[in-house]
Amino acid sequence: MSYECDVLVIGAGPAGLAAAVAAYDTGARVEIIEREDRPGGILKQCIHDGFGVIRFGEKLSGPEYAARYIDMVEKRHIRIRTKTFVTHMEKKDGFFFTQLVSRTGIEMIKSRSVILAAGCRERTGRQIFIQGSRPAGILTAGTAQYFVNMKGYLPVKRCVILGSGDIGLIMARRLTLEGASVEGVYEIKPEPSGLPRNIAQCLEDFEIPLHLSHTVMRVNGENRVESVEVAQVDAAFQPINGTERVIPCDGLVLSVGLIPENELAESIGIEIDRSTNGPVVDQSLMTSVDGFFSCGNALHVNDLVDYVSESAEIAGRNAALKSGVKRELSRIKKSENFAYLVPQLVDMKRIEEKMIFYFRPGKSAGKGTLRIFGDGREIMKQVFKRLNPAEMERIEIEKDTLEHLNGEIRFDLTTEG
Amino acid sequence: MSGQYGQKVICSQKGSSILLEGNVAEWTDVVAAGKMAAEIKGIKGVINKIECASVKKKRKAGGELTENVLKDRRVDVLIIGGGIIGCSIARELSKWDLDICLVEKEPDLAMHASSRNDGMIHPGLVPSPGSMKAKYNAKGNGMYETLSRELDFEYKRVGSLLLFDNRWLAPAYPILASRAEKNGVPSTEFLTGKKLKRFVNSKDAPSLNKSLESKWAVYIPSTGIVSPYKTTIAVCENAILNGTRLFLNTEVLSFERENDTIISCKTTKGDIHAKIIINCAGTASDEVAELAGDRFFTIHPRKGTILMIDRKRGHLTNTVLSMPNIIGKKDTKGGGIVPTVEGNLLVGPDAEEQPYKEDYSTSMCHIDAIVNQHFRLLEGIGKKDIITYFAGTRASTYLEDFIVEWSDTISNLFHVAGIQSPGLASAPAIAEDVSEKVVSKLKRMKDVREKVNWQATRKGIPRLAQMDPEQRSVYIIKRPDYGEIVCRCEEISKGEIRDALHSPIPVKTVDGVKRRVRAGMGRCQGGFCKPLVVEIIAEELQMDPLDITKKGRDSYILMRDVAVVENEKADSREEGDGNVV
Amino acid sequence: MKEMTCIVCPNGCRLKVEVADGNYVVDGNLCKRGISFAVQEIEDPRRSLCTTVKTVFKEIPRLSVRTDGEIKKEMLPLLMNSLRKVEITELLDIGAVILTDVLGSGVNVIATASLRQQMAYVKR
Repeated sequence: MSYECDVLVIGAGPAGLAAAVAAYDTGARVEIIEREDRPGGILKQCIHDGFGVIRFGEKLSGPEYAARYIDMVEKRHIRIRTKTFVTHMEKKDGFFFTQLVSRTGIEMIKSRSVILAAGCRERTGRQIFIQGSRPAGILTAGTAQYFVNMKGYLPVKRCVILGSGDIGLIMARRLTLEGASVEGVYEIKPEPSGLPRNIAQCLEDFEIPLHLSHTVMRVNGENRVESVEVAQVDAAFQPINGTERVIPCDGLVLSVGLIPENELAESIGIEIDRSTNGPVVDQSLMTSVDGFFSCGNALHVNDLVDYVSESAEIAGRNAALKSGVKRELSRIKKSENFAYLVPQLVDMKRIEEKMIFYFRPGKSAGKGTLRIFGDGREIMKQVFKRLNPAEMERIEIEKDTLEHLNGEIRFDLTTEG
Repeated sequence: MSGQYGQKVICSQKGSSILLEGNVAEWTDVVAAGKMAAEIKGIKGVINKIECASVKKKRKAGGELTENVLKDRRVDVLIIGGGIIGCSIARELSKWDLDICLVEKEPDLAMHASSRNDGMIHPGLVPSPGSMKAKYNAKGNGMYETLSRELDFEYKRVGSLLLFDNRWLAPAYPILASRAEKNGVPSTEFLTGKKLKRFVNSKDAPSLNKSLESKWAVYIPSTGIVSPYKTTIAVCENAILNGTRLFLNTEVLSFERENDTIISCKTTKGDIHAKIIINCAGTASDEVAELAGDRFFTIHPRKGTILMIDRKRGHLTNTVLSMPNIIGKKDTKGGGIVPTVEGNLLVGPDAEEQPYKEDYSTSMCHIDAIVNQHFRLLEGIGKKDIITYFAGTRASTYLEDFIVEWSDTISNLFHVAGIQSPGLASAPAIAEDVSEKVVSKLKRMKDVREKVNWQATRKGIPRLAQMDPEQRSVYIIKRPDYGEIVCRCEEISKGEIRDALHSPIPVKTVDGVKRRVRAGMGRCQGGFCKPLVVEIIAEELQMDPLDITKKGRDSYILMRDVAVVENEKADSREEGDGNVV
Repeated sequence: MKEMTCIVCPNGCRLKVEVADGNYVVDGNLCKRGISFAVQEIEDPRRSLCTTVKTVFKEIPRLSVRTDGEIKKEMLPLLMNSLRKVEITELLDIGAVILTDVLGSGVNVIATASLRQQMAYVKR
């Protein structure tokens, strides 16, 4: 069984939903594929508020933000195929052939473009080489969040949280509110990974200690976690002998990073940027494979869902356009101070509107100056206050700034403090 | 010996074995003493009872009756241990009209050595000719092709490539070839120069590190790979299909003897009376022998760590790769890179003498050692490709060989002990031999006939992700659950998980499901699917999610309902353990 | 002098508050809201609460809720307790009031997910 559409959107989380709406509004026949039983993606379990301040001027909870976009999709009668999973994809003669499996069987969808909006997965304790035994009670923060918010169960009663990223901080508060006790939050870096407001409202409010420059080395316990061993680390993040401490607890919650989910993209030969773990894209968010777009957390890990929606709209709009023109891709050069910069390429043939770049600095700084050079000249400059790798930055560049260039484009970030 | 250790170790003879007693400071000394004693020619075994101050007593002594399920059952054969050995023997014996009972102390089969190895079906090159290992290895290897078809488990004949970088050792090849021949290995191939280059560039080892200065190599075509726990389960399911009774959560506590016969066996699930008792208790086989008053050997658990590599690097090699440092030693550190039937790579194991039989905790130094030793064999593999790691302990005796024989002192006790590598490969051959001997003895006690309607085959849980689209569609149309993907990393459907929960061997744990259908073994290690698997278990088995465990006993996944406040009432969970058969 | 982090918006300004002649002097804020936050935080700290309540629906057993304003910080555990007793029996929409005027605060607890919309997908 097979059928056709113009744009196939994989994922009905905030990225996929926004991309589908934008693609539809640009005139494409759109189909959304979602592996869960209902749309909303990770936002369904993010019941805390803070979403939509930029996009809607309101402080919404995750499910509310998702519902705004589900409403938009429903209003346009765009089909969301739930409990449907992509098993295989191939590009042939300029079209994408995507194999889907669902409760009705195997199907093939032929589409002109594909938007991969499948989000990311969590880094595991094994990936950071936590040692010891493998008892019940070790879980990533997202899985803990699912158990608590979607099912109403506490997977831990007294835990240690490793990682001070926002998800770890949010779970510290959530678990405490539900009656569990968080012995402490341990962070390997010398500074917290999450937003200062989350340190305040998730840790300080509940008197949960934050231990910087610490990590969890081992887990003990045969069947259920009985304790974890923490240690202080040095500047190279190596454990310092003699600082080991055993903390009795029944759970270890890990918030040690997110990894964009791109196995499907890699299977059709897309170029991946190792600094984002997401695809290399041009300003339309098209990847190195023509017609294959990426947006949301699958492209790079965002802090704010508002920017996920923004990037998704760019991808959706562009995926719907039929362009016969071959791309002229210029790879952007960037200075060392960037952790990453997205997009990584500019299609010089299609500079049709303002361009949005997202970046993270490599390290924290009080102030930073971003300079953009084209053909050797400085063409734009912007100052950023208080740079922090934990906070993604955004810069808009007007169309005419880049339009008439024919040489190298370079982004330079200098920091102070 | 008293020279080396002063007054601390006393050496005496017990039966045909050497008995060591005394006190030393470190475990390595205990093992060293045992190995020294093992060098003495002609002894049957080493009973090493040397005490060591630094060893903490971990394993709880004995246990007690939890529920009388066995109720003085009378059977022909009692098999102690539900690993690959015990299950294989059960299947062989099930070909006869016999009452067979297999007891396993854990909540599931294959929870120890049988799931903690690299799945390699060794060709038979390594064991010393004339040893028990050599007797069974190649023979067992040759039986896997048929077994895998009959029992519907995945098996691949991938061959193995042993790389050597000492040119001066090349003349040793004829010795290797001769040993292989003596051990019954069908063929080996000597590769050097152009031949080696051609092999290296072939599809078998596409990413073998070209910069490795390997001067010669031996290729052994008969090496195979299986999923060891899936195989164990497949073998046992067939045994059960053919009448074997399996009792999980059943631990042997003591034996009652009358002269030289065991007349009764007390377990945590009641008493059982068997005509023949077969001891396949893995690292606890010496303890079972001790309970019977027939301990003539001691297990010193040698731990090994194994790394699992992401499936997306699985294409780097299609054959087993290793670069041995030394040939011929009894307990080489060995190991290598082994592809799995599911497309991952396993790297290791290493070897560490340590005192704890069931301590499977890992340590960074072992992981680093394995990375340093083996990663250089391949191009394009790195530490970031490691998705998980685990450890196991080998049931090694001091003589470092299999024990497959009747007890010298007890007429109805058969020991199948000390089964370390190549135990998995040898299992079918061991089982055949044990069955022949046991049936022969039983025939002298009663009339024993072959089972008329013995079923050789067993159907496993379908692996939808491996099917072609047409076949997969057929399955899904018949049962839509097969089209609902739960584990996205490994593409495992709800239907397969439900099949696991309704399979012949009752499993109610998250790990039990994982062992059967792989859900949770992918790169996200259950991050997405664990809650869904818990929900499916709760729904299928009518269980309260709070009672669901990771691996039995008190390994509960969930601690309490959010609606309950801690000081309001006690845990809503029921007391008692999970699996009861 | 008191230091605190403003939690009103993602900027999370670090505020320094001093009392001078009965007046508050706030420094470090990027906008006006920071000043009112600082004063409130010292005199009468308030927080909003986001949590979930039980439903009778097997497929969607929890409904996410939040307060539509802020309540006294120390009342959070009491509110959590009240919410533990709630059980949703209807397919509510976003904004539906679950509890009114919680603990006399004038603040309501409202649904933040649409059970109706979500259940329609589940039931397909």
